[in-house]
Amino acid sequence: MLGGLLVYPIYQLGLISLLEYTQAQVSGGEPTTFQGFANYAELFADPEFWRVLLATVVFAAACVVSTLAVGCALAVLLTRVRALPRLALMLAALGAWATPAITGSTVWLLLFDPDFGPVNRILGLGDHSWTYGRYSAFFLVLLEVVWCSFPFVMVTVYAGIRSVPSEVLEAAALDGASQWRIWRSVLAPMIRPILVVVTIQSVIWDFKVFTQIYVMTNGGGIARQNLVLNVYAYQKAFASAQYSLGSAIGVVMLLILLAVTLVYLRLLRRQGEEL
Amino acid sequence: MKFAARLAAPVAALALAGLTACAPQTSDNSSSAEDEKTGTLRVWLFQEVSSEPKEKVVDKVVAAFEKAHDGAKVKVEYIPVETRAQRIKAAFNDPKSAPDVIEYGNTDTAGYVKDGGLADVTADFNAWSEAKDSDPTAKTSVTVDGKIYGAPFFVGVRALYYRTDVFEELGLEVPESLDELAATAKQIRAAKPDLYGLVVGGAYTYGAMPFVWANGGEIAEGKGGSYASTIDSAAAQKGITAYTSLFGDDNCPAAKCASMGGNDTVTAFAAGKAGMAIGGDFSHSAVEAGKVKGKYAVVPLPGVKSGSVAPAFAGGNNIGVLKSTTHRTLAVDLMKRLASKQTQGELFDAMGFLPTYTDVRGEAAKEEPFIKPFVTTLTSGTKFVPASPAWAQIDASLVLPTMFQEVVSGKKDVAEASKDAAAQMNDAFSSAG
Amino acid sequence: MNSLGFLRRPWRLAAEASALVIAVVVAFPLYWMVLSAFKPAGEIESSEPRPWTLAPTLDSFRRVFGQQEFGRYFLNSLVVACAVVLASALIAFLAATAVTRFRFRFRTTLLIMFLVAQMVPVEALTIPLFFLMRDFGQLNTLGALILPHIAFSLPFAIWMLRGFVKAVPEALEEAACLDGASRSRFLWQILFPLVFPGLVATSVFSFISAWNDFLFAKSFIISDTSQSTLPMALLVFYKPEEPDWGGVMAASTVMTVPVLIFFVLVQRRLVSGLGGAVKD
Repeated sequence: MLGGLLVYPIYQLGLISLLEYTQAQVSGGEPTTFQGFANYAELFADPEFWRVLLATVVFAAACVVSTLAVGCALAVLLTRVRALPRLALMLAALGAWATPAITGSTVWLLLFDPDFGPVNRILGLGDHSWTYGRYSAFFLVLLEVVWCSFPFVMVTVYAGIRSVPSEVLEAAALDGASQWRIWRSVLAPMIRPILVVVTIQSVIWDFKVFTQIYVMTNGGGIARQNLVLNVYAYQKAFASAQYSLGSAIGVVMLLILLAVTLVYLRLLRRQGEEL
Repeated sequence: MKFAARLAAPVAALALAGLTACAPQTSDNSSSAEDEKTGTLRVWLFQEVSSEPKEKVVDKVVAAFEKAHDGAKVKVEYIPVETRAQRIKAAFNDPKSAPDVIEYGNTDTAGYVKDGGLADVTADFNAWSEAKDSDPTAKTSVTVDGKIYGAPFFVGVRALYYRTDVFEELGLEVPESLDELAATAKQIRAAKPDLYGLVVGGAYTYGAMPFVWANGGEIAEGKGGSYASTIDSAAAQKGITAYTSLFGDDNCPAAKCASMGGNDTVTAFAAGKAGMAIGGDFSHSAVEAGKVKGKYAVVPLPGVKSGSVAPAFAGGNNIGVLKSTTHRTLAVDLMKRLASKQTQGELFDAMGFLPTYTDVRGEAAKEEPFIKPFVTTLTSGTKFVPASPAWAQIDASLVLPTMFQEVVSGKKDVAEASKDAAAQMNDAFSSAG
Repeated sequence: MNSLGFLRRPWRLAAEASALVIAVVVAFPLYWMVLSAFKPAGEIESSEPRPWTLAPTLDSFRRVFGQQEFGRYFLNSLVVACAVVLASALIAFLAATAVTRFRFRFRTTLLIMFLVAQMVPVEALTIPLFFLMRDFGQLNTLGALILPHIAFSLPFAIWMLRGFVKAVPEALEEAACLDGASRSRFLWQILFPLVFPGLVATSVFSFISAWNDFLFAKSFIISDTSQSTLPMALLVFYKPEEPDWGGVMAASTVMTVPVLIFFVLVQRRLVSGLGGAVKD
């Protein structure tokens, strides 16, 4: 029963991606026809798809790495401070976490607004527009994504570190190991199961970033420079009513994510971890 | 667990039926056989920046309608323009939640007809006495393949707004050609660096197209019912160059203007941030409400030759009846009342919407001198987007804004960008047939 | 826990100072949001943004609350979010117990499926879901929002909850069994309280996704505005072409506050919860 609940969406996605399915078919104006892999062929022949794919992979990787780095560093920091600063940081992080994606995106846009935003004022950038350049727009979105997703990593890793016996850490510190070494050789291996879950979740979430790109770059940026796969699929499906092409992109995303996850799990299993 | 049980049934059914038999659902959108004479009619009209005057006029029409038809009720809902596509598509897909009468943008006509959503009202339209005064452009915008799918509600054209105080201060003349326009814009910017000369937008398709049309270019040409894009022709490229050369630090910096759409440019002008702007008759109330009230005037957008007028895009909205309505006779009558000469006259007074009837429009121009440049623009010839179902798709996939933005941001040159845009349009034309 | 002892004093002060600085930076966007919501219209759109306001006003909030049937939308949102949280917590609890406690065929496959289901881009699925809802006659009802949210928050909930169930020693079940406790008694009176923190942690995720959603609301509530939810009402202020920053920020504040309250309420359990979820 549960299996069915999960299989159904994937099944629909796969099915539609093989059909000619546009608005005319949806509203019954024309019959639905089976297209085989024609949608995929069309997709792969489109240079824009490859450009978007590359941008998505690089962007998602940057997001995952930054989120994990920031999250882990702050989690370690949390264990090093007394209750008051810890509570302050924790509350601030929970606030960022609680902020809906659409709200967060708008607030960050306002912060970096060329005319009314405080950031340009503080940095003395005049009316520099952050969303005009491709890389600066991606960078802005990256900042927002890290801001709203590091708390999950931080809280989870922090909870994990707390479960590590403090004697172990003290022993390491007495041996004169540096902070980095303690993290690398003691903490990280001990909380590896936590890191695995956090990494997989980050990969899944960051690869599927939608709202942030959609809101902050106004649907893909100037001349579609900031498109990522999920937004691209949405635009194909809804703006252009080419549901089958949108679904085909969805399937490609699914396969990529699956491949990444499986390779990652395989690597772990080789090191003796169980799923 | 109810949900799981609910889902399990269709899943099992689908799985059993095999791949070919279980195509995703489509909706049965054949026209309804029923034609009830009583009951509630649902109407969707567009939300405007300030809808109140519009609502008053509509309420009057509704009251008269309910009086004329015993037992008929009307429920009007004002839907946001930005999300209209989804709402209306959803309505086509689920006749139960669909309205009976809708307002729709005239560029959407062909697409909605292909989606099978609008009812063919050719006979009713031709039998309607007021229809013969409809101007031909407006009539084209409700016609697909010789059949009529609605009644024109109002037309919209764009013209050149300029700041009288700035022109006076700098001793500038109103530009008479596109070249003069560009030169004037740069002069304003040079003298007043905190103003855009002529505020332009990379995503402002209908502000950009007059430049293409004035240079003799076309979006596409119809060849035996099917279209082929000509946006990469030499003439069109000249127009694109003329428009995109307005983006730059000497007029409208690309970093800010590339992402602007039509409303942004009007907002900037209304806030006193620009010397000139391309705005519609429908932008009048927004500009009046802004800082520049009493300090601006409007002239037709000039063409290439001195003294000529650049062809403008004939925008506007129509009123249509949905195919799935169960109150066809009533719905058609309501459509006629909403699009009647009287309603359009009142809407013009209330909202400034330009009537679609030549005689009503003539009278309006006499009463309200402000409207003159727009009427002049209309009479000197307007252009329309290709009447192909593919247009809705081309429009929604932002082919033209992308092309302008690519050139403005220096990603591609005019030749390359227009060639790519033409290829994308041709794809759409050929797949939509 | 005491990992402070081995850190020398100047280092600790530096660490605490940087923690505070980071907290300020992280909280700054939120502060700016609330601040902008209270600023009078002219001040937001001034080219000299100041980090305070001398004339706080409720104008922006008035515009937001002045919308038709605002209270009703708020209530609808609350109903959807609570229904999703309760239902998905219950189902996830049972399912997580099933996949951890029983060894059956396809168990690993099922686990992978939970992961895969999270990877499906929901945006691409609204159309098939639309038809599903139509065929069930659920369009224009809150059910059309609740059901898909349950379906999409379940995989993650089960995936997270697994760790908790796993952490409860099997010996406990055997002991309970020996004491004559029935299976369902064990499930509800012993296992449930033990994994409760985990349920809280996963509920946070379901709550956020249901509360913030506007994709489903936009797609499935077509003609009956009395069934609309909060994000739909607030979307009116998000006009990319002429942003009403004050309205947007006030709306955002209204939308964020309930989640924040929810978070603060469960904060303690959340930390212990997430720790348990991943402690295999």
